[in-house]
Amino acid sequence: MKFKRITALLMTTLLSVSLLAGCGDKGGNEGTTTDTADTSTTDTASDSAADTTETTEGGDDSASDKEYAADEIIDFTFFGAMPNPEINDGNEIQEIIAKKTGVRVKETWLTGQTASEAVGTIIASGEYPDFIDGGDACTQLYDADALVAWDEYIEKYPNIKELYSDEEWDRFRQDDGKIYWCNVFQNSYGENRSTTHNDEAFWIQVKVLEWGGYPEIHTLDQYYDLLERYAAENPTLEDGTPVIPYTMLCEDWRYFCIENAPQFLDGYPNDGSVIVDTDNMKIVDYNTTETAQKYFRKLNEEYNKGIIDVEFATQTYDEYIAKLSTGSVLGMCDQWWDFAFTVNDVFKQTGLDKKGCNYVPLGLTIEEGMDNMWHTYGDTQNIASGLAITTSCEDVEAAFKFVNDLLDQEIHDLRFWGVEGTDYLVDENGLYYRTEEMRMQASDTEYKASHLCAYSYFPQWLGTSKDGINAMQTSEQTSEFFAGLAEPLVKCFEAYGAENYPDMIGSVNKEMGPWFPMYSYSNNLTTETAGGVAWTKMGEVKHEWLPKIVMASDFDSAWDSYMSAYEACNPQDFLAEMQEELDRRVAAAQ
Amino acid sequence: MSRKTNKARVGAAINKKDVKRQRVLLIWAALFVIYGIIFYYIPLGGWIMAFQNYKPKTGLLHSTFVGLGKFKFLFSDQTFLKVIRNTLAMGVLNLVSTFFMAILFAILLNEIRSAFGKKSVQTISYLPHFLSWIIVTGILHDALSTTGIINELLVNLHIIDTPISFFSKPGLFWPIVAFANVWKETGWNAIIYLAAITSIDPCLYESASIDGAGRWAKIKYITLPGIRPTIMILLLMNIGNVLNAGFEVQYLLGNGLIKSVSDTIDIYVLTWGISQSDYSLGTAAGIFKSVVAIILIVIANYIARRTGEERLF
Repeated sequence: MKFKRITALLMTTLLSVSLLAGCGDKGGNEGTTTDTADTSTTDTASDSAADTTETTEGGDDSASDKEYAADEIIDFTFFGAMPNPEINDGNEIQEIIAKKTGVRVKETWLTGQTASEAVGTIIASGEYPDFIDGGDACTQLYDADALVAWDEYIEKYPNIKELYSDEEWDRFRQDDGKIYWCNVFQNSYGENRSTTHNDEAFWIQVKVLEWGGYPEIHTLDQYYDLLERYAAENPTLEDGTPVIPYTMLCEDWRYFCIENAPQFLDGYPNDGSVIVDTDNMKIVDYNTTETAQKYFRKLNEEYNKGIIDVEFATQTYDEYIAKLSTGSVLGMCDQWWDFAFTVNDVFKQTGLDKKGCNYVPLGLTIEEGMDNMWHTYGDTQNIASGLAITTSCEDVEAAFKFVNDLLDQEIHDLRFWGVEGTDYLVDENGLYYRTEEMRMQASDTEYKASHLCAYSYFPQWLGTSKDGINAMQTSEQTSEFFAGLAEPLVKCFEAYGAENYPDMIGSVNKEMGPWFPMYSYSNNLTTETAGGVAWTKMGEVKHEWLPKIVMASDFDSAWDSYMSAYEACNPQDFLAEMQEELDRRVAAAQ
Repeated sequence: MSRKTNKARVGAAINKKDVKRQRVLLIWAALFVIYGIIFYYIPLGGWIMAFQNYKPKTGLLHSTFVGLGKFKFLFSDQTFLKVIRNTLAMGVLNLVSTFFMAILFAILLNEIRSAFGKKSVQTISYLPHFLSWIIVTGILHDALSTTGIINELLVNLHIIDTPISFFSKPGLFWPIVAFANVWKETGWNAIIYLAAITSIDPCLYESASIDGAGRWAKIKYITLPGIRPTIMILLLMNIGNVLNAGFEVQYLLGNGLIKSVSDTIDIYVLTWGISQSDYSLGTAAGIFKSVVAIILIVIANYIARRTGEERLF
């Protein structure tokens, strides 16, 4: 008996020890797997990879002369309150950057929750990652005293300071007069090189336009008419998948896809939550305008005709992207960044781009002959969110130094171009270019996870590189843009006399007022104020009613019920606060 | 009878000898009491948030006191009233359906003669219990989508002409949730009834057979009365859980269109408490839920006592 017990005890000890050892092993294994991954890519890229090592070691003329040893590298964590693909541990470029800067950042992203839920949970726990981009919930972090002020570090680090002018930096100041985050997007160095329409639009597949003989499409009626006619004649794809003429996303915050089109249809720019009537500087609610009613009536009509996807109201973002990726969706209303990066890569990998599945934007308005402002020329500074460093970060100095280093041209090239020789080549004029193979490789999910590391939510530049020749980011290199275009897209651009996406949508190039964009204020409203409560409730009502009125059999009565539910939220409280902010911004600019 | 003797013992003075004899038991019991205090009672201190305008910056000690302000906001909010309705409706629906299905299933299973058949059916049927809701909702979402298996089946059998979009019909949401619960929990819940059935004296069945009772009569006069105490206790415990109608299912299956029937109190707490970082409001809603749960369980217990049934306290 006693003997048995002792054996049992021994066994348990052994087991737990082996478990522990198992854990240890795992860590070790990970190391080795990365190593093998390294070698395998080296193999595939054969001699070019050898060149790379030479260039990385030899081309050390910039600030980062020092190469950090493995034990000197600091590991930081980052949480982004937006979904994004995660990269592998031991990602090659991440390691290169770690060696050069002495910092490695493990990025995690939002999964399955909304941004504010995730950030709310983090605040409630009181344990923050070192870096955070709270998306719409940045103010919550500020309110919880979780962020480190940037002010002294901006002065200290030239690359960070260079990001914005003093005036622009000032806009980030919170009510205590300090800067806590810095938006990383839509910020150009030197000449602006934008070739894409990185905004919202009604999108349509090029093959539909080609089929229709490249007609001029300016209104909703013309748009749906073309979709209807095309779908009637081509009800399925080649493989038998039924064509979905039009779909729209209603999930969570992405319901802007159905919600905010009325502002654009009326010819206004993307203020996001309201229209700013520039004639008398008044806030206008785009939810209740005649245009809104017309737009939703049209959607209702098309839904009842079977043109709109029956699943539009219940689909999740993943399902939506999966649908678009099959090439069966002819058109939708969405922001470029919401679908294009994923979907275009899939099209490239599957060859659907050659069949004309790529989307081009159309600048629709409610009446024929109006100016549209779907495209925002130049940079938009969104002060509502950005990268922040939290009070949990133990080495704030190193964190800011890392942000500074990331903006170093050499590191910036690593982030957005990759490794010279492997991901891009340089011609005799210093122009960066990719071979078709490299382009293919860069759109491969597997490769992106194991090799590329853009630190995409850290400060970055658009526009022209400091060498004055190249673009800061691959997507903006004009030569690359044209070389990467599939045949049908090129033909489409030619047919409309367009050079790129912004030409295609043909928005007027009007300078935005100093108040633009108003969403940077409404995004940060909290339920502290009556306007904030109204804004939250309006959101809930619209989430429920917009799909409902589209699906209604009797539009008019559904619209009336929607309007009474909407009025019950006291939207006037919200509008009053927006007006106040608009007046403040206008006054501040003068 | 046994209850009476217990009472008598509790009433009597506890002497040193008793303590010594039950030393180990007392230590174990104390551990659980400590556990309860730490994890159930100390967090209740946080309820104070419901009466403040709590901000993480100022903390519990320095946030402004607003009295019943948060509760007033709650009960004047139409959404909250709807959310209570949804929670109760789904809770009751879930309770009734899973409860009956489990008993029915246990009895049916008990009637299977082949031990192998019985064991395998039982094992297979309780496996879904171990799936997390995220997987179950994933399966449901796929099965019920317009291109899913259910719609294909219905269309191919010519029961319907065009696929039904199940998740855009508010009327179908509660039944879908109830169905999901039944599918997931029936096998698991049946285990306890099966155990109760096993403890019924086989002599009773034998003598009943001799008296000429068939299967039906045996179920009616022996099995059901035999598991009656178990049924009552479980019913009582579950009534206290009615307001825990669920969070994951509704959260994962719901969408904007059917929000007004799918949101439960827990989701409301999440959206206002965590997302809008109005922790006070979230706490107030949570307190309301706990109070209702306590009231429900006390009422149920009282009714059980009045009807002379088994009860919790």
